[in-house]
Formats: sequence, structure tokens, C-alpha cells
Amino acid sequence: MIHKSPVTEEVERETGTGTDLWSVIISPSIWALHFLACYIAAAIYCEKLGRDAPLDSVRMLVIVVTVLALGGIFWSGIRLWRVHDRSLTNNDFEYEHNTPEERHRFLSHVALMLSVLSAIAVIYVAIPMLYLETCR
Amino acid sequence: MTDKRAETEQLARVWDNPGGWRYLTNVNNSVVGLWYFAAAFAFMLFGGALALIIRMQLFVPESTLVTSEFYSQVFTLHGTVMMFLFAVPIFEAVAILILPGMLGARDLPFPRLSAFGFWCYLIGGVFVCGSIFFNSAPDSGWFMYPPLSTEQSGIGADIWLLGLSFIEVASIAAAVELIVGVLKCRAPGMHINLTPLYGWYVLVVGGMILFAFPPLIAGDILFELERLLDWPFFDVRRGGDPILWQHLFWIFGHPEVYIIFLPAIALLAMIVPTFAQREITGYSWIVLSALGTGFLSFGLWVHHMFTTGLPSVSLGFFSAASEAVAIPTGIQIFAFIATVMLGSVVRSVPMLFCLGALAIFIIGGLTGVMVAVAPFDFQVHDTYFVVAHLHYTLIGGMLFPVMAGVYYYYPLVMGKQLSRKLGIWAFWLMMIGFNTAFLPMHLSGMLGMPRRVFTYGAERGWTELNMISSVGAFIFAAGFLLLVWDCVRPKKHQEQVQRNVWNAGTLEWAARFGDSWGMRSIPRVTSRYPLWDDKDFLRKLDEGEGLLADAKEGRRETLVTSVLDAKPIHVLRVGEPGWLPMIAAAGLGAVFIFMTFKWWLPMALGGAVFLTAVLRWLWTGTAEIPEKQTKDVGDGLRLPLYVSGYKSTGWWAMFITMTGDLTAFLALVFGYFFFWTIHPQFPPAGVEGPGWFWPMVAGLLVLLTWGLTLAARSINGAGNSGMARLMLGASLVVTICSGLALAAGPWTTGLDPTSHSYPAIVWCLVLWVLAHLATGLVMQAYGLARLAYGKATPTHDADLWNITLYWHFTAFSGVLTALVIGGFPYLT
Repeated sequence: MIHKSPVTEEVERETGTGTDLWSVIISPSIWALHFLACYIAAAIYCEKLGRDAPLDSVRMLVIVVTVLALGGIFWSGIRLWRVHDRSLTNNDFEYEHNTPEERHRFLSHVALMLSVLSAIAVIYVAIPMLYLETCR
Repeated sequence: MTDKRAETEQLARVWDNPGGWRYLTNVNNSVVGLWYFAAAFAFMLFGGALALIIRMQLFVPESTLVTSEFYSQVFTLHGTVMMFLFAVPIFEAVAILILPGMLGARDLPFPRLSAFGFWCYLIGGVFVCGSIFFNSAPDSGWFMYPPLSTEQSGIGADIWLLGLSFIEVASIAAAVELIVGVLKCRAPGMHINLTPLYGWYVLVVGGMILFAFPPLIAGDILFELERLLDWPFFDVRRGGDPILWQHLFWIFGHPEVYIIFLPAIALLAMIVPTFAQREITGYSWIVLSALGTGFLSFGLWVHHMFTTGLPSVSLGFFSAASEAVAIPTGIQIFAFIATVMLGSVVRSVPMLFCLGALAIFIIGGLTGVMVAVAPFDFQVHDTYFVVAHLHYTLIGGMLFPVMAGVYYYYPLVMGKQLSRKLGIWAFWLMMIGFNTAFLPMHLSGMLGMPRRVFTYGAERGWTELNMISSVGAFIFAAGFLLLVWDCVRPKKHQEQVQRNVWNAGTLEWAARFGDSWGMRSIPRVTSRYPLWDDKDFLRKLDEGEGLLADAKEGRRETLVTSVLDAKPIHVLRVGEPGWLPMIAAAGLGAVFIFMTFKWWLPMALGGAVFLTAVLRWLWTGTAEIPEKQTKDVGDGLRLPLYVSGYKSTGWWAMFITMTGDLTAFLALVFGYFFFWTIHPQFPPAGVEGPGWFWPMVAGLLVLLTWGLTLAARSINGAGNSGMARLMLGASLVVTICSGLALAAGPWTTGLDPTSHSYPAIVWCLVLWVLAHLATGLVMQAYGLARLAYGKATPTHDADLWNITLYWHFTAFSGVLTALVIGGFPYLT
């Protein structure tokens, strides 16, 4: 059922303890903050300035926040990629065994792909702002 | 060999479930899980009967079978029961029942908390459901929109609010239990990448509950303050806004859909590999999709509010996020389909339900993508199209997977097999009946039939579609009843199933029917499917070659391991059977139920019972100093019997509970700023309170009492218990002063909470913090008493760690409240 891997004993990683659960949720948390920032900024702006107000300044804000969020996710992704890439064996997509090395590789993979998903979601959320003109 | 037999007998004695009257004192997960399951099913049948009344009424136009008022109660209760009393609790039930086995634990870390949650749920559920027999059930829809629900005269809204707030306690209790269970109670060697997918899903859902349920609790508080004391949070005439309720409700309500869906789909992740006879495809992809869905699901709530007149840019954000969530949801579905295609499928009833679930859910998912597009939603909002959509997602995403789970796990739990023939019949009746009932609703919705109308005119052209739906509903019900009959029919003459009857690979199937201890010994796990990969696994397990194979001290124990790599770190003594969880739940139930009727004295008595029971429970059953420091668990491993701080499960439980508590507090703060957003002038002209002075004094005093508590813990840890007692004593006084100072702000400036939403929300924040200060006071006194009676010492200080942790959160809330109510008015 399972292929035997050469790495079955516990190997100390040169990258230290590697990925933990917190780094898995960094990117989606950035998405959540970005989402809240966009929504709250636009909601307050439109409520205070009325429905005819042009969106220009809040659009700039959303673009800036989006760039920051993507930057953050990119940073988190690069960090994970480095750790992931420095895997001690060649079978990067194998993490069915009970070694810290494979646990680590697994979490890096999950975190990395979550970064991709978060980046897509950040871009999705920013799109409406590029098309709408006023608070209507 | 006799030695081993003595061990087995000892284990059996320690884990023996009490019988007779004392059966009700059980706390073991296998018993409580079963109760939970049976109760959820009973409520489900009740909700289903209500649904049939709805379909009978709508069978013909101009029907007079039930009155409009009764119909409103029926659909409200149908929605409420199915969501709050079936869909969420069934997740808790299944998780409590099978999760420990899957992780290789003897029990969950807080069995008495599970039992407490169950009793809360049962009492609250019976109360809410029973109301319909007195013609006083809630009747303004399962999401209780004000002003309809605040201004109608009936008691139904209070029953809904208080009954469900009470049940939410059970959900949060379950979340605490399950998160700690998955993170800390996995068998040694079960690294996080080997955790069964069900465990991952439970972890994600537990986390979601902590951020989704508290906003509803906050909303309930505002709502009940308006109903009970006339504080105008949702009354437009006095500066309130009904939209605030919609926000708070749906911040809960949309994640809740995924809270229901994910654990059910998690069952597919366990069942599909078994019947495909291969490991799951794309394990890591499923994990990341579950996590991604969990996060994204919090960015969808406004899509229930597309027609409330919010700015289109707000709709755009939520529409985009609603489309994005289809990506991780889709990945999970594809992974399941890929597993089926790559394996050689064994035909079976659970598999039939799995495939039916996928088919139905995909239709519901596609209509979901349709209604996520705001302009389309404008057209079908509040029509039967939405009714069809939500039933396709819930029946496909929850009910069918749970039915698959029932067929799959029945032999494990009950020791007998369900009938294959009846199962196939039940499946096809349900599948055909469901689609006959709900597919036409897409059309009746498109033709303009609104939700919740108790009848319709013949000229509308909805008659035939409604007739078809009603016939389908009864076919569906017939299928369901067949399944229920199959579960409850006597099976005395049926032979007991052999162990691991489906040839599954995961750990829960290593259990033998009838063993209340879970596993003979706690195995070391080296793969995701230990029963497939290690042919010798069961023998080793049964011969007690694993860890913790005995219970020499006569105590129920389970192993606590590290979060990522599952290294054994601690032996946890878990709760024994007892009446206290039930008494505590009854006391708390009395508080909520009597509050509905405004019977203050019985309510206070209920509160006293609750407090006494909880204190006794804590005093006698937690942070007990063991008779020896370490225990030999086998394999030459000695583990501590007592740990404190973040090494202990109790600390994590407090941390998780307080995270949920903090979310509720932040939802109230959101309410404050929401009112600021909608009012051109906030605070309103002419209102002076609460001023900056008293809030500032209160904030400083809260910091002081927090500092004293923290210092007491450190000083006690350094060996000076006497000094620590002194500091805790001082902290009691400071806590009382801080509460008085906080109340002095709005009190001395004469803020009248019934006059406007501003004073109301200020008072509400103050009340929230006061309640937390009062709880903190009890805790400080408790800590003092523990030190005084030698139940806590410099080396055994878990209580003090937990109390301090509580105070970290309370100090934060107190200071933030002081800054908001005292400082923010000066900024505007």
C-alpha cells in the first residue's frame, strides 16, 4: 500500500525546526486582514460620504492594501519554498511516513499551496474595486 | 500471560460504564456520543415531520390545512431544528463517538465537558421544540430578522434566543474538546501528516466555531436586551439599525454552513478510501482545501444580504469571495472522485450514499455559484430557488454523507450490520424523493414563488410544481423512515459482526465491540493506514504491547502527545462518571429557561446551582495533585502525571474558550463602531457620558488586578506561596474597585440605555466587562482557596496558570472597553 522510503530514521534538518501550524495559516490570515481592510474602508467611506461619492481615494487604498497583501503572501511563499526546497531527499511529494522530515515537507506543501489560494482570493476580492466608479 | 489478563481485567473495571440509574452519570465518549447521536436523530425526525406539514399545506393552492400563524411557527422551527439541533450537533455526536478511536486515544481529554455539552443541548432542544405544542414557537424565520422579531408580541422570539444561546454553549464546549483532542491526544508517532483526514476537518471546524458562534452570541445578547429591557439596538426610531443583526447573524450563519458541511464531507474522506481499497488521493490537497475553505467561508456573509441596499462595492467583495470559495471546495470533491477512479470500488450501501452525496452536492454547489453573482441573486432572493439551493447543499453536503456514516459506522458502534437490502431501498427512495421534491423548486422560485408564504393562488401557475414537490417529500420521508427502522429494529438473532468488518485501514477499526476502554493499549503509529500497512498491528495491540497498557492506580488515563510529531509527553487522568455535569447543565438550563418567562427568583436559584456544581466539579476533579510524579507507561518510558501552563490540556482549553469569548467581545465592539458609521453625529448631540475619567480609572485598575494575578502566579512558582496568597487577596479588592469604576462612568453621567442606541451599546460593553470581572473575581478567590488548602503548590500550579490566562483576556477586554467608551467620543 505504501512505498518504502530511504528516510525512515529521524533526521535533523539544517533549517531548524521547519514549518509549524502557525506558518500554515499566515497566508490565509493575510487574506482575511486584506478582506476586512477593503470591506471596512469602503463601507465607512460610502456611509460617511453618501452614495454619489466617487471611489477614487478608497480605490487607491484598496490597491495599496492589495499590493501589500500580495507582498506578504509572496514573502511567506518564498520562505516556505526555501524550506521546502531544502528537503533532504529527492521525493518532495512523499510525506506518508512518520519522520519529522516528512511532517515538515507536508506542512510546507500545505502552506505553500494555501499561499497560492490566498493570493488568488486576494486578487479576486480586489477586482470589483477596479470596475466600480461610485458608492452607488 | 496471567499478568496481562490481570491488566485487562483492571482496565475493564476502571473503564466500566455505570449501569442502572447511574447510567446517566456516564461520561465515556462511546456512551455520550451515542446519546448525542440519538438525540440529534430524534430532533431530526421532529424537524422532518414539520417539513411534511409544510409540504401538505402547499400541496394545493388556497389550502386551509393550517393557519398562517401556525405555518410561520412550523417553518421557523423546521429551519431552527435542522440547523441548530441536528446539523451542528450531529457533527459533535459523530466526532465524540469516533474521534478518540481514530486518534488512538482512550477518551477525549475532557469527557465531563462532553457530557455537560450533551445535557445543555438536550435541555435546550426540548425547550425550543416543545414550544410549538403551546402555540408559542418562534415564528419569524430561522434567522429572526428584526424588527419583525423584536416587535411582535409573542414569547417565541425569546424562546429562540435563550434556547439557542444555551445550545451554543454545547457547541463551544465541543469545539474546545475536539480541538484539544486532535492536537494533543493523537497516538504516539501519529505525526500531523499522518493524522486521519477526519481529525483535520474536526480541527478546522473547531477553529471555525470559535470565530463563528460568538458573534451570534453577541447578537443574541443585544437582541435579548432589546426584548427584555427595551434597549434600542435594532430600533430605527431610537438610533438602532436592524442591519446590525443581519451582520452579526450572518457572520455566524455563513461559516455555519461550512461548519456543517466540512465534518460531513470528512466522513467521505474516511469512507471512500475503505471502499476504494486504497489510500486517499491528494491527502495534502484535501487538508489545504479544508483549511482554505475554513478561512474563505468567513468572507461570504454579506451574500445573504445582497438585497439590503449596501453599496455595490461591498457586494462586489463578498461576491468575489463567494466565487473564490468554490476553488477549495472543488479540490476536495475532485480528490474524492480521483480516489474512487484509481481504486477498485467495493459496492456497498455507504458507498452508494457517498456517490449520491457528491451528485447532489455538486448541483447545490453550482446553484451556489449562481446566487453568489449579485444580479442573479437580486432576482431569486427569498424565492424557492434559494430553498432548492440550500437543500441541495445541505442534503448533499451533510445529510447523505451522515447517512453514509451511519451505514459505515453502525457495525463499529452497535456490533451488528444494517441490512444491505433495506439500505439500497432507503437510498433510492431518498435519492428519487429528494430530487422530486427539490428540483422543481428551482422552477417555482424562478416563477416567483416567495419563501415562507403559507399559501398561494391557483392562477399563479405554481400548483403542479408544488404538487410534485410534496409527493417527492413524502417519498424522501419514506426512505428516511426505512433507514430509521433498519437502525432500531431488533437484531437479537443477527450475528455480531467480525472486527473491522469493511477491511478499513484506519485506527478506529482496531477497536473491539464492547470494550469501553477504547483500545487495549495505545499503539505506536507509523502510517496513515496502520491496519493495512502492518499486518501484525492488531495482535500487538491486543496483547498490550503498546503504551499505557494498564490502569494500576485505578484511574482512567489517556496519553497526551506533542502537537506536530506526537511524542508522548504526559499521562492525562480524565474525568470519571458523575452527576455534576448534568446538575451544572440543569442549573444553567434553568437560568436560560426562566429568563424567558422573566421568573427572576427561580432563575437566580438555577444560577446558584450552576455555580455550585461547577465549583465543586473544578475543586474535586481538576488539577488534582497525583500520588506520584511520574508513571511508567511501558517501553521504558516514564511520563509526568501532572503538568501545568501551556503543557497542560486545561491551559489549552482555557485558551480556546477565551479566544471564542474574545470574538464575542469584538463583535460587540463592532456594534459600537457600526453605530458610529451609520450616525452623522456619534455620540448624539447632548449626550455627555461616560466621560474619560472613570473609564480611565477602571482601565488602570483592571491592569493592576491583572498584574497582581500574574505576579501571584510567578511568585508562587518561585516558591513563595504566602506572598502569592497575599497578592491574590489584594487582587480581589482591586477587581471589585475596577468594576465599580467602570460602571461609574455611564452611571454618573446619567446614560439612559433605553433612550438611544449609543448609551445602550456603551452600557452593553460595560456589562460584558462587568460579567467578566465578576467571573475573574470568582477565579481569583478560587485560586486563593486552592493555595490556602494546599490543592495548589509552587510545583503544582496549573490552576494559577489557567486563572492568569483568563485574566490576560479579561484585562485586554477591560482596557479596550475603557479606551473605546472613554476615548473614542473625543476623537469624533
